[in-house]
Order: sequence, then structure tokens, then C-alpha cells
Amino acid sequence: MDKFLYLVTEGIKNTWRHKMTTLTAIFSLFIALYIVGLMATAGNNTHKLLHYLRSKYKIEVFFKQGVSNEEAVGMIHSIKQIDGVRNATIIEKEDAVRIFKDQFGENIVDLLGYNPLPVSAVVNLDRNRRDRLRVEPIIKQIRAIGQVEEIRYQGNLISKIERNYKRVIDQLPYLSGIIILVTVLIIYNTIKLSVYSRRDLIKTLQLIGATRTFIKLPFIIEGVLIGLISVIFVFPALIITVEGLNYIISNFSSLGLKLSFDPFVWIWLFLMVMAITTLGSYRAASGFLK
Amino acid sequence: MIEFQNVSYAHSKGYGVNNLNMTIDDGDFTFLIGPTGSGKTTLMRLIYFDLLPDTGLVKVNGKLSTKMSHRKIANARKSIGMVFQDYKLLGDRNLFENIALPLHVLGFSANDISTRVEEALELVGLEKKEKHLPSELSGGEQQRACLARAIIKEPDILLADEPTGNLDPVASFELVRLLETIHEMGTTILMASHNYNLIKGRGRPIYELKDGVLRIR
Repeated sequence: MDKFLYLVTEGIKNTWRHKMTTLTAIFSLFIALYIVGLMATAGNNTHKLLHYLRSKYKIEVFFKQGVSNEEAVGMIHSIKQIDGVRNATIIEKEDAVRIFKDQFGENIVDLLGYNPLPVSAVVNLDRNRRDRLRVEPIIKQIRAIGQVEEIRYQGNLISKIERNYKRVIDQLPYLSGIIILVTVLIIYNTIKLSVYSRRDLIKTLQLIGATRTFIKLPFIIEGVLIGLISVIFVFPALIITVEGLNYIISNFSSLGLKLSFDPFVWIWLFLMVMAITTLGSYRAASGFLK
Repeated sequence: MIEFQNVSYAHSKGYGVNNLNMTIDDGDFTFLIGPTGSGKTTLMRLIYFDLLPDTGLVKVNGKLSTKMSHRKIANARKSIGMVFQDYKLLGDRNLFENIALPLHVLGFSANDISTRVEEALELVGLEKKEKHLPSELSGGEQQRACLARAIIKEPDILLADEPTGNLDPVASFELVRLLETIHEMGTTILMASHNYNLIKGRGRPIYELKDGVLRIR
């Protein structure tokens, strides 16, 4: 028990004895974890951004003259059944007159003596689907319903957004993999350098009869402690960054978007850093033991 | 007891020791002399199993070089104290912590460690320097601290590899006297040196190592 307590104390004391090495290691780990945390948070919020953009997608369907409100209701019901459509709202001929008056300040019925505005519908698209939303098949199906005079939509913009979203989603696993690999290497090498700077201690301990476990344990404790301190600092740093971005978005942009920080990201970072520092210190210390 | 039977060891650059036969009985104080590069350190390293012979057998306190594993080597070293020319004190720990290190390895309690370190420091004349870092001590004091660290676990065998190599004649003489005091307590000592004047006339067996070949002087 005395021996175990001594080794734990040694691990803790070593972080203090080698303040500069410890600080450098904590800083390197902090930067690496912060970048991974930021990437993970960005990944988590990608869908939120897309959700916001999709809420702005709008298809306006103008029915032919002569289509009554009742007939339009039936057609809108068919539109709602199309895959990718979230909802569709009818704009009756009377509503169209009101909208015209709101926009131009004139009552078109008074001007012309009759209502020339057709019944129309505003179609909103599904925001929540994870795959690429294709608008062209939806347009084709709306046309197929018949009695449709004109369809207005932002086809190019929607395609561009959806295409880029798909590209990001496709690349994300590879990008995450590379970033995690680089992070693992940074953390491992930082720990290795920290152990390397004390190879004389390892040699001395070996010469006085210390077992391999006795030599390695303080290094493992030290590595875990460094990882722990880094990951503790990363948590508020990520929250501050997300809140800072939210402040900028709400005050300096017209985006109605609020980014969120998922604590699961931090738990994931915590587990990752604990595993790497434990394994890294173990391997690094073993490397200097003949 | 230390026993070498037809031991040869060659380093990658060619030098080493060749067909050594030597016996040091329990309680002996033996000197090993020879010029730099003659193989003294190699011989010492073979005793504490830092090197294992290419051929032949090294037997230390009943432990055989042919049956060594990492765990057995660590175990064998628990009964061997070592003093080095370059001290090998840890620069980031004070004298107390440096000297206490072998006792922590052996699992002594904090109280026992404190008592033993005080006794060892007193024996080597460093009782008021326990809080000092090695860098705050003279060469002679560092070597005595190294000696205190070697004897604190009361080893059966004490190996001193050129312990006076970095010391002035007065400090060297004092260190040898200190080793003789420790020997009187029953410890087997093997001290390597290239300074024949320091060890001659002490009535101790002297082995001479030259170009890896051993002979008794």
C-alpha cells in the first residue's frame, strides 16, 4: 500500500517537478483536443444549419384560372403526399387579393372589376431528412397533378446547398478520421517526449532494482493527469467558442440560427484522451525499458 | 558471492571482456584496476545483469545469468548497491528523496524510510544537507550521497565503478575510507579504479583487467 501510494504521489509530483514539460504537454493536448472538439461541434451543427436553410426553401404553385378553391384543396392534398414535401398551404383567390393589396396598396378587384389572381399554394419541403433533398422530382410530380399554370422555386440555390451538404456529409468521416489520427499522434508524441526527457530517471530506477510496473506507473499517472487537465480546460473553451459564435450570429447576421454544444462531444473527448494518454505513457515508458 | 566462469562479452564495437574467471567471496573487499577501456565497467555491468554474457556464466548471490528475466534482474539488483563515477543522482529531487528511492522500491513505510535515510546521511557525513538538490553539492558530497543511496537498503554486495574518478585526492581518500567502514559492517565490496596509488597497500585482493583479460595482482 505504501508503495502504491508513493507511486501515485510520484506521478502527481512529477507534473509539478517538470512544470515546463507539463505545461507544454497540456498546451499541445489542449490545442489538439480543442480542434477535434470544434470539428465535432461543427459536425453536430451542420444539420442544424441545413435545417435552417431548408426552412427557407419555398415552392409556389399557381393553378390555372378557373380552378376553384375547393378543387385546389384536393390538389394540395395530393401535393402533400409527395415524398420530400413537409406541408402545403392554399392561398385562395380572396387571400391573393389581400396579399396584392398589402404589397401594392391597390385592390385589384376595384381596379379591374374582377379577380384575375389564381388560386395558388405554398409548398414547404422536408427539413429533417439526412440525405440530399432533390427538388426536381418534386416539381415533376406537382406538374403531373395537372391544372398547374406555373411553379416558382429557387432551383439552382436549393441544388447548390443540397449538393454541398452531401459533399460535406460524404467527406466528414474521412476528415474526422484524419483529424483524430493526427490528434492521437500529437498526444502520443507529446507524452513520449515527456517520458524521453526523464530517461535518466528510468535508467536509475532500473539500476536500483525497480520493477517495470514500479517504473511505468508514475508515468501513466502523470500522462493521465496531463490529459485530464487538458480535457477539463477544453470544456469551457468549447462552450465559450460556441456562445461567442452565437453572439456574433445573433447580433451581426440575419441567420436565425443558434449553435449548440453537445456534452457528449466532451465525454467522447474525455474518453479518447484518457485512452491515448494511458496507452501512450505505458508504451513510451516501455520503450525506454530494455 | 560473485563468480565468473569463462565469461566473455563483446560490445558491438569489439571491446569487452574475454574468458574471465573470478571469485569474490562474501565479505571480501576487492579492488579491480585497469586503464580506461580495459573492461572494468563491462565486468561491473555483468555483475548487476545490465549485460548478460555471450558465453560463460555469471553467478551472483546464487542467481545465474543464464536464467535471467526482467523480473529476476530487478529482484537480483535489490541485494546489490551501486556507486557510479557520474553519481546518477536525480537532479529534480533533493538528497532525501534521492537516497530514499531504493527503499520506496522495496516498499518500506514512510517512518522506516525517514529513520534509515537519516542514518545513511549521518554515516556519509551529509546529515544537514537532506533538502539540498544534487546541483547544490560538491563532487565529493554528491559521491557520498550516491554511496548513501547504495547502502541504504543494506545490500549484500556493493559495486563501486570508478567512484573516485571525478574527485580530488583528499575526497578520494575519504571515500575509500568510507567504503572500508561499510565493508566492516559485513558488505561485500568490489571497487573499480584506474588509480593504483589510491588502492595499493591496503591489504585487499586486487584484480587487474587489461584488454578484457583478468589477472590477479
